[in-house]
Amino acid sequence: MAIALLLAILLVILACVYLFIAHPVWFPAGVSAHAAGVDHQFAVAFWLLGALFVAGHIALGISLMRARRRGKVTYTQGDWRLEALWTVLIAVLFFGFNVAGVRLWSQMKFQQPESDAVQVEVTGTQFEWYFRYAGADGKLGDTDAQRFAHPEEGNPLGIDPDDPAGKDDMVSTSLVLPVGRDVDLTLRSNDVIHSLFIPAMRFKQDAVPGMSIHAHFRPMQTGEYEISCAELCGTGHYRMRASVKVVSEAEFKQWVKSKELPSTAK
Amino acid sequence: MEERSTSSTAVSTPGFLRRCVFSTDHKVVGLQYFFLSFAAVLIGTVLSLLMRIHLVWPTVSLPFFGTIKPENYLAFLTMHGTLMVFFVLSTVPQSGFGNYFLPLQLGVSEMAFPKLNAAGFWTTLLSFLILIAAFFVPGGASGAGWTQYPPLSAIANSGPGQALGTDLWLVSMGLFCVASVMGAINFITTTLKMRTPGMDLMRMPLTCWTWFVTAILSLLAFSVLLAAVILLLLDRNAGTAFFVPAGLIVSGKAVAQTGGSPLLWQHLFWFFGHPEVYIAILPGMGVTSHVLSVFSRKPVFGYRAMVWAIVAIGFLGFLVWGHHMFVSGMNPYAAFAFSALTTAIAVPSAIKTFNWIGTIWDGRIRFTTPLLFSVGFVSLFITGGLTGPLLAQPALDIYLHDTYFVVAHFHLIMAMAGLFAIFAATHFWFPKMFGRMMNERLGALHFWITFLGSYAIFMPMHLLGTAGHPRRYSELTGVQYVAAMAPLQKFVTVAAIITMSGQIIFLVNFFWSMFKGPTAPANPWECTTLEWTLPSPTPAGGFGEHVPMVNRGAYEYSAPGAETDYLMQDAPGS
Amino acid sequence: MPITSGHETETPPKLGGGGPGKISRRRGYGGDDGDHGRPDDFSSSRSRLRRYRVGVALFSVCVTMLFLGIGSAYVVTQGMGPWNHEAGSRVSIWRPLLLPYRQLWLNSLLLIASSVTLEFARRGMLKKQEFSTMGIRPPRFKTEFPWLAITVVFGLGFLAGQFLVWNTLRHQGVYLGGAASGSFFYTLTGLHAVHLAGGLAVLLYALCGDWTGRKFESQQIAVDATGWYWHFMALLWFGIFALLHFARG
Repeated sequence: MAIALLLAILLVILACVYLFIAHPVWFPAGVSAHAAGVDHQFAVAFWLLGALFVAGHIALGISLMRARRRGKVTYTQGDWRLEALWTVLIAVLFFGFNVAGVRLWSQMKFQQPESDAVQVEVTGTQFEWYFRYAGADGKLGDTDAQRFAHPEEGNPLGIDPDDPAGKDDMVSTSLVLPVGRDVDLTLRSNDVIHSLFIPAMRFKQDAVPGMSIHAHFRPMQTGEYEISCAELCGTGHYRMRASVKVVSEAEFKQWVKSKELPSTAK
Repeated sequence: MEERSTSSTAVSTPGFLRRCVFSTDHKVVGLQYFFLSFAAVLIGTVLSLLMRIHLVWPTVSLPFFGTIKPENYLAFLTMHGTLMVFFVLSTVPQSGFGNYFLPLQLGVSEMAFPKLNAAGFWTTLLSFLILIAAFFVPGGASGAGWTQYPPLSAIANSGPGQALGTDLWLVSMGLFCVASVMGAINFITTTLKMRTPGMDLMRMPLTCWTWFVTAILSLLAFSVLLAAVILLLLDRNAGTAFFVPAGLIVSGKAVAQTGGSPLLWQHLFWFFGHPEVYIAILPGMGVTSHVLSVFSRKPVFGYRAMVWAIVAIGFLGFLVWGHHMFVSGMNPYAAFAFSALTTAIAVPSAIKTFNWIGTIWDGRIRFTTPLLFSVGFVSLFITGGLTGPLLAQPALDIYLHDTYFVVAHFHLIMAMAGLFAIFAATHFWFPKMFGRMMNERLGALHFWITFLGSYAIFMPMHLLGTAGHPRRYSELTGVQYVAAMAPLQKFVTVAAIITMSGQIIFLVNFFWSMFKGPTAPANPWECTTLEWTLPSPTPAGGFGEHVPMVNRGAYEYSAPGAETDYLMQDAPGS
Repeated sequence: MPITSGHETETPPKLGGGGPGKISRRRGYGGDDGDHGRPDDFSSSRSRLRRYRVGVALFSVCVTMLFLGIGSAYVVTQGMGPWNHEAGSRVSIWRPLLLPYRQLWLNSLLLIASSVTLEFARRGMLKKQEFSTMGIRPPRFKTEFPWLAITVVFGLGFLAGQFLVWNTLRHQGVYLGGAASGSFFYTLTGLHAVHLAGGLAVLLYALCGDWTGRKFESQQIAVDATGWYWHFMALLWFGIFALLHFARG
């Protein structure tokens, strides 16, 4: 039985290590400015924790291998020195790892977006994402979903028709962004909690009703990336998708123009 | 002792109902909890199987169930989580085995408050029935997940199952909180006030320590959940707005309430929810320490360190709830504290792992089924635990939050490890509970399937998470990059089906052994603790007139100079 | 609890689960029941009383957590509001209550009075029970029952007073399903009233013990445990009152 158990542990080690090296599915390529740092931290994490995983299982295996059938067992109540050494070692390892992660967090959260950041208001509803751009005046109009929201009349967010700032607001169902410029998102929700998840940008933020949550990132590569919802929001949670289109600055300007026309004509 | 026998066992020959149903005997109550969880785990397992099947073969029509719809999936998901977390993982190790063996290991024949104890069970049963009833009401069971985040859970028209189903869920949870608190008061008082002479706190078996600390956690945590549940029930039924902000429009209807905060629920819920994780796993840690020591014929390595690690884990468990909320919109500065404190929990957990390996190191290991499951526990605890410090980092958690990576993490560390401890404990104490031995061959076979199966199910889930697969998706077709992961999901489903079929071996072994297994001697495993001084199965009166006098700690195995390789706690001399 | 050394005669063990065990001074048996040298009899009234006291203390901790949960929600909600970017501060949307202080103080007085009368009953019954365990049967068991009855009346008075407070607020237009301040007021005071009613039920049970054939011993334990619970309820009430007053917005 000891040998079978040893083999099983060996199998687990090898299978897990193989699985992570072969990784049939894996992170999508990171395309935001902070993705490199995050991916580096992930690499550190997987190496460190992977090593501990292997070491722990090898130790478990050795302890089983040393099991004896007969003969005297050393009677021991423990060893304080070993215990203390292990505690210090593991504390240093984990807290060192933690400090590195915390530094990354401060870079992501406590650096303000650049002043030329694109301002986009993201609103989650069951089960659709809406992205609102301020238009030429750079100001978002007031909204009141309870009074004005009529998805069938092209006003799903309930922009106040009497607010001049809202006249040139444009609402899109996909997030279009210029490459290399910060984007400052304001996340909101009109019904339940949603979570904007852009795996390629290493970005996720809940959209909580009653709150306006700011979050920013900077896309670094053009292309189209998927957005999913990462907070259970009801029956259609699994199909609450949208996409980010990262385009060149010129294309972005053109897109803004093309979107502005119909809404100013309204 | 005369007075004692008059207090609860006065009826000379009680009838079946008195003896086995409406009994206040801690052993009967323990078994009642045990079998209640048996029912819960069967339902919970079937639900998870249905979910796995629906996920990869959404159009398949199943006998009895037909095709599963997305809203069914969400209801199954909610009920699976609730049943498993509350009625299995918090019930069997603590209320089941704890009720049965805490008094016996402490050397007494009853709990501090036997009637309260029985009342706790009946309340739990009522709570269970109300929860299950939610399947049969219009709209079905709640589909908001076991975390029940408002406003999804606060507004009745936010989805099917969010009407009466969610009210029933809340009432059920409220009752469960009350029952847990009853049990916790009982456990703590029993541990503090009822120990037999000589049973110092530092001589208690580690199982008793974990039951004791878990009871303290239950007492503090479930009271807060009760508060949250009451507030949410009021939001749903009395028009208050504790968790509902202004200006909502759900399913085209304006919501009248104003002024609440959805984050408030998350804080209250996770203040309960994180200690709850330890409520589920601490007794498992105790069982593992106990079983490893017994079958290695060695004392627990670093008993005191183990005790302090249990206490430290329990204490720190109350300070880390924010790590569930890194992407919730909580103040990002709070993440620093929660991240560091969460990492701190890894330290006592690592101490425990170190000591488990130290306990079996150089031992004369007897490879029985309980030992196999305990070694499996240690393996799963290492694997599931190591992703903890990773998820504790807000910068990484942003990506992994609410993906399958988290699902894999908590299933390995809490569900699978917890289950392995339950299996170990069942095999270990079966002779004491039913007077018969379980079959070792079937036990080992069951272990191999479950051990390798757990890894086969949950390791690939880590990868799904790293590829950004959000959890709680009822179908894979909604998002393209998720749809691309269908092959791996299929692998997981197949592994799950095989592993779950393997559980039939356990069922067969359990019920066959209950009636047909070989008769167990009083102390088949040659253990030192007091429950093994009694005949198997435990007589109704427990220790009866006899008061065990404890002369030593709980883990005197292979002590130098002793005749046998174990010294009973109450054996005379030193 | 005094620590007995009555069991030092036992052979000290050499090996404990956590190293050599200590046994010379331990608490938990013997205890203060004047019964040194014999292991604790868990069905003795002394032992039961001690157990019930621990139970009540633990229950109080649990109730405290319940109210801390709601109380912290109160404080957080009170400080909430949309952020005003121009002013750089929060816009408070909290609607303060006009608390009927006179009524509330009157209720508080009733609650203190009931605590005092219950304490008389508790002490008297405890003394009698002690005599009775020594084998001296006190001549009259029932002299404390008037105190109990008065406590019940005061307790009912407090509940009625709270009801009047709710009435007053309702006339001001404060409803449970209205502004958050009102919701919290009714929830906090309502839950407190429910918990107090529970204590009241136990007191009534003790009072009616004669008719239901309870032993004096059980009645005494019920009164003692409820006594401590009742004092805790009074303290809790002042905690709630202070919260409602100081964080009224």
